[in-house]
Amino acid sequence: MADDAERQAWLAAKPDAVLISAELPLRANLSVLENIALVPQYRSNASARTANERAWALLERLDHESCAHLRDPDLSFEQRFVAKLLRAVIAKPSIIVIERPGLLLPDTPYPRFLAETLAKLDKEINTLWIVDYTWHALLYPPT
Amino acid sequence: MHYDRHMSWLTDILSQSGDALIARFATWGRTLRFGMVTLAGIFSPALYNSATRTVVQKQIYFTAWQILFGFGLFAALFSLILVRIASTAAQKYGLGDFALELILRVLVIELLPLMTALFVALRSGAAINAEVALMNITNEIKALEGVGIDALRLEFLPRVIGGVVSVLALTALASLCALLIAYLDLYGLQAYSLADFSRVVGQVFTPLLLFGLWLKCMLFGLAVTVIPIAAGLDSPHKLFFAPIAVLSGMVRLFFVLMLIEVGSLTITYL
Repeated sequence: MADDAERQAWLAAKPDAVLISAELPLRANLSVLENIALVPQYRSNASARTANERAWALLERLDHESCAHLRDPDLSFEQRFVAKLLRAVIAKPSIIVIERPGLLLPDTPYPRFLAETLAKLDKEINTLWIVDYTWHALLYPPT
Repeated sequence: MHYDRHMSWLTDILSQSGDALIARFATWGRTLRFGMVTLAGIFSPALYNSATRTVVQKQIYFTAWQILFGFGLFAALFSLILVRIASTAAQKYGLGDFALELILRVLVIELLPLMTALFVALRSGAAINAEVALMNITNEIKALEGVGIDALRLEFLPRVIGGVVSVLALTALASLCALLIAYLDLYGLQAYSLADFSRVVGQVFTPLLLFGLWLKCMLFGLAVTVIPIAAGLDSPHKLFFAPIAVLSGMVRLFFVLMLIEVGSLTITYL
């Protein structure tokens, strides 16, 4: 995206996509596990036990079980990103959009981290787009 | 020229006052609308799922269960003092036979429900108001909607249900405490006067009065949750508005609680 206006217009045109953004926080009074499990509990009426097991399995796949019982303010940037990503993944949307990953992972070499993380969730994600500014294009491998 | 200047000053004053009045009415209108949506939502079977049930349980736990002992103790002490005052005053003026009726009408029907509602309002209403305002300001509501979760169904309606159940349960507990204390104070620790006691209780608590009391407690329960939530949702998306949202929500809540109480007194005694 060349500028912020273009980014906002692009996002507005994708109302069905689940957005992972620095501006959309986790539920503050729930742990990471509860934030992820909340989606199947609410949307499919899954029991708390089943939903927690599904959320735990996803956290295990990304080797982030250690943050399962932490709440938003106690999370590192990476942990917070993983929680937001898994909350989106467990909803099984047709499109997931990671918006400006630099804001979500300011202290992580994020193109590599994203590639590794998303590779572990390959079967769970239908379509994933990363939205970033054009001046960050060099950070990503050519497509 | 002077006339124009005076008129413009007057027009400005009237416009500003009018805008403030309209804004105030609009706030009350939004609160009332949210109350209506809440009432409709509570009776919708679609509301109840695994996640919303958890929120209802948590709300009842934090609003009623967690404070049960402290509240019970406070209600017992409060009742003991008022029962002593009422029975002593009634006997002093030769109205000892009416002491129980006085206690039931003043303490059980009027003061304890209002005290319970104020207690829940201060403890849980203020917390709900602050939490919803922060959820609104920090975009948590939008984030939930992003993953297909309706915040109204998940966060707000279960809180209202939990609040209403808690107010009803705590009022019932406080009333039972007051009845027990009134019996012990007026008749002493013996069971022979249970028939007299039950007769007076039966005379005071007619089916219509019981329905009115239940309705009042329901309205208290709705007020202590609906108004703080509506005030929280009304706050602009700026962090420094959070305390203002709590302040205005609590003032509105106090006003509505008093309005319900005055309305109930008016219907009962006029």
